[in-house]
Amino acid sequence: MKLGTEQSGLLGRVRNLAARRTEGRGLILLALVIIVVAILEPTAFTAYSVTLGRVALIGLVALGLTAVILMGELDLSVASTLAVSGVIMASIPDLGLGIVVALAAGILIGIVNAVFVVYVGINSFIATLGMLFALRGLAFVISDEKPVRLSNIDAGIAFGAPLIGPVTPRVLIFIVAFIALQVFLTRVRAGREFYAVGGNRQAAFDAGIPVRRRIFTGFMISGFVAALAGVINTLERTAADPTAGSSVLLASFAAAIIGGVVLTGGRGSVVGTLIGALSLGILQVALTLSGVQTDIQDIFIGSILLIAVITDPTQLRAAAASVRSFFQRREKAQIPT
Amino acid sequence: MRNTRTMFPAAGLLAVAGLLLSGCAGAGGDSSDGSASTYNVYALLPQGTDQPYGTTYLPAMQAKADELGIKLTITNSKYDADTQASDCEVAVAAQPDLIILWPAVGDTVRPCLEAAKAAGIPVTATNSDVNPEDKSLIKGYSGPDTYGQGQASAEMMCDAAAGAPTNIIVINGLTGNSTAINRHDGFADYIAKSCTNITILAEQPGNWNKDDSQIAASEMLTSVGAENVQGIYAADDTMVAGAIDALKARGIDPSSLIITSIGNTKLGNPLVISGELYGTVFQSSSWDGENAVVLAYNVLTGKPVEENLFMPSVKVTKDNASDPSVAPEW
Repeated sequence: MKLGTEQSGLLGRVRNLAARRTEGRGLILLALVIIVVAILEPTAFTAYSVTLGRVALIGLVALGLTAVILMGELDLSVASTLAVSGVIMASIPDLGLGIVVALAAGILIGIVNAVFVVYVGINSFIATLGMLFALRGLAFVISDEKPVRLSNIDAGIAFGAPLIGPVTPRVLIFIVAFIALQVFLTRVRAGREFYAVGGNRQAAFDAGIPVRRRIFTGFMISGFVAALAGVINTLERTAADPTAGSSVLLASFAAAIIGGVVLTGGRGSVVGTLIGALSLGILQVALTLSGVQTDIQDIFIGSILLIAVITDPTQLRAAAASVRSFFQRREKAQIPT
Repeated sequence: MRNTRTMFPAAGLLAVAGLLLSGCAGAGGDSSDGSASTYNVYALLPQGTDQPYGTTYLPAMQAKADELGIKLTITNSKYDADTQASDCEVAVAAQPDLIILWPAVGDTVRPCLEAAKAAGIPVTATNSDVNPEDKSLIKGYSGPDTYGQGQASAEMMCDAAAGAPTNIIVINGLTGNSTAINRHDGFADYIAKSCTNITILAEQPGNWNKDDSQIAASEMLTSVGAENVQGIYAADDTMVAGAIDALKARGIDPSSLIITSIGNTKLGNPLVISGELYGTVFQSSSWDGENAVVLAYNVLTGKPVEENLFMPSVKVTKDNASDPSVAPEW
């Protein structure tokens, strides 16, 4: 297909859609996971409140990460942000004030990350890696190296109870965060500009897009969402654990990548991240229900992640072209002269 | 170049297929076959075969479960409170006859216990007890007296110091972990109350890990001055081995210091025999795994159970380290 041309007809429209969207692989994986789980461990669907909770646990931080990855940046500090915000919240006796301060801390951490990336010029991988260690240490210092119990444990237990059917406050907050981010990235100009910044930063700058401001916004979203996850975890566990979040970072990245968010930026969506979180969440719950050990679960999840990366359409198209040209060369070589 | 492009995805897919096959091969995991199982029990553990203790804890647990007709489903949260909370939600949804809980972080298990109670599923604790205020939510605890172990280790150090002023450094377990906190408190409380000639100069977490402990010990020796240190307490044998290596790296003979720990493991026992480690406290992983199931079985069959089924905390020094009754298990 030539650049700028659109194929007409139903098939053409489907092809155009497939070429534009990045969620295809995630959707196929999700369908496969659903089919296999439905056959082998259907309890994962009857216990849908548990599955929904697991999806929200993985997905919330992944949503914030998506905003940063879309601009071609990384935020490795999300797990430590989650831990330190939880500790800050639990250390303040007034629950409401604690939540506000913890969320503000998340935004502040995002701003500091952005300052290092935008003004100091440090690669986001390095800047947020440093922040990961610094915040983990801060969480230990604030908590005196012990879990900090909530002053109002009953409020925490009440928070973990379902509101309507299987929908707990965690699931509801996840849904709201998903809708808000989806609207921001697709309907709001500033959000749409994230794609331009990630696709070609120089071109975005030349086009008058405030690149620095957009990067600040992305890191602030990531920090805020990670802090929100920390607040929710602390409420649900009735205590803040300074070592919390150890499994969150990799699971969040995995959800985004499985959902088709491209690490180099410019392509992907929160819908894809949702699909990735659904695939991982359903799979994890089914494997746990089947009594499969975490080590083996890691093999399954790692394999799915590898499939998601290997089956990238760009790579597949290149591979297919290589195969075609290989056979064409062989055919030419076999024609007698 | 083009061939390389073709080969990468193909090789990748082959590698993934291999990984998935290995996953399928191991997926049978730790659930017993259940052919003669009477009870379904979930065991929510924070470690498994990824740790030396779990490696010998699990077979004893599984063997006793098979003997008593219990089908075990075992999870491993790797000391992550969120993962264990999530595993607990799955367990409650599966409606087993009982849940055996080894808390990853004791302060965070209340919601899990409440959820199990609401679903009518009895819970027993193993290895690390729940907090005192949560005791009413469990049917019983089996495992080491972690506070008592810290205290026993302090008693040995106190005996060895014989009233002489002794400065020590302390290497704790993983921060926030219930066992680490209890052992520390047991040790520190005894020293503060009954052995005031011992002074703790510095303490750091060694994360139940030899390398981390070696670094922590080395840093503390530097900061307080190695010449000022006459003793070391580490919360387990793996970490004390790291601390002893740190001393050796500085040319200090470990047997010139009073060093105590907890575990009497295959790593710690030879150190006691060699005199590098003054004393340790025996912890039997097979007793622990086996009695977790015994307690669960007693609860399920309505037999009377004690609130705490404590593992005996036997002190091991050079005098009894070669005794078969304290032969190390892990």
